[in-house]
Amino acid sequence: MEIDRADGRTANQLRPLSCSRNTLHRAHGSASWSQGDTKVLAAVYGPKAGTKKNENPEKPCFEVIWKPKSGQIGKLEKEYEMILKRTVQSICILTVNQNTTTSIIIQVVHDDGAVSFDDYVFQYSVFISLLPCAINAACAALVDAGIPMKHLAVAICCCLAESGYVILDPTKLEEQKMKAFAYLVFPNSILSVLPEGSSLVEGEPMEHGIITSVTHGAMSVDDYFHCLDRGRAASAKLSDFLRRNLQSQLPSHSSKAE
Amino acid sequence: METKASVSPATFLDKIVVPGDVVLDLSSLTNQTIKLGGGLRQDCDSISVMKAGKLKFSKPNKYWVESSHKRYVPSVEDTVLGIVVDSKADNFLVDIKGPAIAFLPVLAFEGGTRRNIPKFEVGSLLYVRVVKANPGMNPELSCTDASGKAAEFGLLKDGYMFETSTGQSRMLLSSPTCPVLEALGKQLSFEIAVGLNGRVWVCFLMPFLELIAYWVVLFSSCSVTCSMVNAASPSMVVVVSNAIMNSEYLSGVQQQIMVEKLLQRIK
Repeated sequence: MEIDRADGRTANQLRPLSCSRNTLHRAHGSASWSQGDTKVLAAVYGPKAGTKKNENPEKPCFEVIWKPKSGQIGKLEKEYEMILKRTVQSICILTVNQNTTTSIIIQVVHDDGAVSFDDYVFQYSVFISLLPCAINAACAALVDAGIPMKHLAVAICCCLAESGYVILDPTKLEEQKMKAFAYLVFPNSILSVLPEGSSLVEGEPMEHGIITSVTHGAMSVDDYFHCLDRGRAASAKLSDFLRRNLQSQLPSHSSKAE
Repeated sequence: METKASVSPATFLDKIVVPGDVVLDLSSLTNQTIKLGGGLRQDCDSISVMKAGKLKFSKPNKYWVESSHKRYVPSVEDTVLGIVVDSKADNFLVDIKGPAIAFLPVLAFEGGTRRNIPKFEVGSLLYVRVVKANPGMNPELSCTDASGKAAEFGLLKDGYMFETSTGQSRMLLSSPTCPVLEALGKQLSFEIAVGLNGRVWVCFLMPFLELIAYWVVLFSSCSVTCSMVNAASPSMVVVVSNAIMNSEYLSGVQQQIMVEKLLQRIK
């Protein structure tokens, strides 16, 4: 049951990836990540002394600011800020740099397609591929700034079509025809000196874990697990791309994949 | 997706590692003490990487991850350039580009007593040594070396300060002398202070004859000679600073060529 995608990709194929780090002069860490036409720029400032009012001073505080390409900041942006903050708190080490604040600013440079405010349903579909792109950019910017992390995070978007078929990394046009979609964030695949199989958590390697999952629409449990499997396979490719990008430590190095 | 089959630790040395990589298995090393530097943390029986960078090893037992960033992680016995932010009764508060502001005790100077506490204005640049850098506490600084002598620490007057990355300052402080500093030093004479926190201060020493000429001009108010003498200093500082900032990603030979071209254009 092959599905025809408008740009000729197979169901499991990702759009061309591009990442460049240390792009901003003043920011302590910065990265720009683009998947196809969607491009996001992330900047990290910190760690700086002092935490915000209601935050726990025994942990480092992470503050996320999401700047859309145009328009005012609304509830959707606040929701994305919260999702990104929780994801970053999962991957960063919280026992160092206590009582400090690290700010992550996400600027949407380009998103797929035009904006339509008429239909509330369409409003969601405009920002479809932004959240995974932003999470990837934020992770690369945190690495560039030298914030201590447990591991990296790679994000992917999986959609469920009407026919029950799962496709990865949809464009905006494909999105509108989908029944449901899920953003999934996985830990990156690591190289280890430990013998294979010794660092299993509850019988599965660490890469099978999931950090964040945001779903929209209705899908059955089986379909959701199907999305998870596809997403995990793609996350290995993303992980390899990120590792290759980090291999060259020259700043403003951009690498392209696929 | 799966972790690679068991790889020996030696394969990671001098290679770029990524946060999450496990580089050492402590259960296989018995009765040994390992010292961990920056960028590595202990996770039960394994050592894993916290920051992306090159894994380095120095005999007999020290491992660390070398990386270059715009912020500084304070560590003991580092010499850094700090900017005074405030002064309290017991300490000066000094910013050293780290996660927490550092304290410089008012008595941490050679021959420092309660009667001769130095007065630093907010914004003064100091060349200091990190004495304490414990996690969760503000770092402590000192303007003396370990034996209590002043040893060039203290206030840096005049000159120009610019910021680079920590990797660049390590390169400037490496021995043998960094190629860019050697090439500049052959043709110009200047004073430079490099902090491991990424701050560099450059100052120009006026040659003796020019200094005499400067004083003569001052007393005789001759405007023509004045402009000739003063032009030398600021433009040279700019040349030196630009040469150092541009040299970060150049090889030794490229640095020498760049410096030669720059100095040729000025003459």
